[in-house]
Amino acid sequence: RQHLVAVGQTGEVRRATVEEVRQTLRYLKRKREEESKEVVVDLGERLERRAE
Amino acid sequence: KGWDDDEDVPDAEMVDDTDDVDPEAERAAWKLRELRRVKREREVIETAEKEREEVERRRNLTKEERE
Amino acid sequence: MSSHQADAKALLDDRGYSGALIRGQNPALLFEKAVRDRITESYYWKEQCFGLNAATLCNRAVELTFIGGTYGGMGKPTPFLCLAFKLLQLVPEKEIILEYLNWSDEGEGEEGDEEKEGITLGRPGEFKYLRALAAFYIRLAWEPVEIYRTLEPLLADYRKLKRRTREGFTLTFMDQFIDDLLTKDRVCATSLWKLPPRAHLEDLELLEPRESPLGDEIEAIDDDDVEMLNGDN
Repeated sequence: RQHLVAVGQTGEVRRATVEEVRQTLRYLKRKREEESKEVVVDLGERLERRAE
Repeated sequence: KGWDDDEDVPDAEMVDDTDDVDPEAERAAWKLRELRRVKREREVIETAEKEREEVERRRNLTKEERE
Repeated sequence: MSSHQADAKALLDDRGYSGALIRGQNPALLFEKAVRDRITESYYWKEQCFGLNAATLCNRAVELTFIGGTYGGMGKPTPFLCLAFKLLQLVPEKEIILEYLNWSDEGEGEEGDEEKEGITLGRPGEFKYLRALAAFYIRLAWEPVEIYRTLEPLLADYRKLKRRTREGFTLTFMDQFIDDLLTKDRVCATSLWKLPPRAHLEDLELLEPRESPLGDEIEAIDDDDVEMLNGDN
């Protein structure tokens, strides 16, 4: 039931706490940082390969 | 990936919202906007004061006319 | 109330509505009926907004790439407007809205390197479209004194915002958007309820006069500068 509540299938959604909001934002920021790093790494690799 | 887009939007990419491309210019542009706001606020105050003065002036006029 | 409905059924059923009120009315009514209908008919609302709570809403809000109301001939709602409508359904605690507005990763953005780092990283309201969304909600849902106190500091945030208009896209800025919220009647396809003028609240001693972040620089302005401003306006 917990799960159903979480995915909204009972038609009810559990209210979030401030701490959950903070955690979500922290997670999203980290995710974004990693994604931008990957782009840089990709670009770096491509440039290296081109140089070879 | 616009969710409700069925028509294509050519100018979506033309507007660039990247910040800190030219920090000095971006701050200078803000300063102009902020100055305009301050000026607008001052004008509102000045207008209100003038109105108050005008009301006061008229009140005095009527008194004098009565005498 | 520890839970809310996943969809908008209860929200839109006026007789059955038992959720939080905003200024004595069902918050959904802050949007016009035509706009509400467009929102609840949209795919974005049905597929991306269903079952969100105040935390999971962040996943969507950080993906926003523009603000705006409705667009195109059919008046389609932007994701921004749909999420604002979701917030009117959730009526999150003030604390949560303030997190949306001012969140930044603690520990980063140390004092001192503010100037060098520019305004994008480690500053309050890091996710700028989430910040704009929270500001829009605050203007709709909060009380006048809180609105001025909470939103005016954002007049110093000059990050760029993309705005979807009926025909296309334009560039605006956070400070400009906040100024619109405080002074205009209509923003993002929504009629804003009438906010008492700032001067009025100052007279009642509910607000201190606003101090511009330009501070002392303001004193350096004389009439010539003002003329110049008018010239290029």
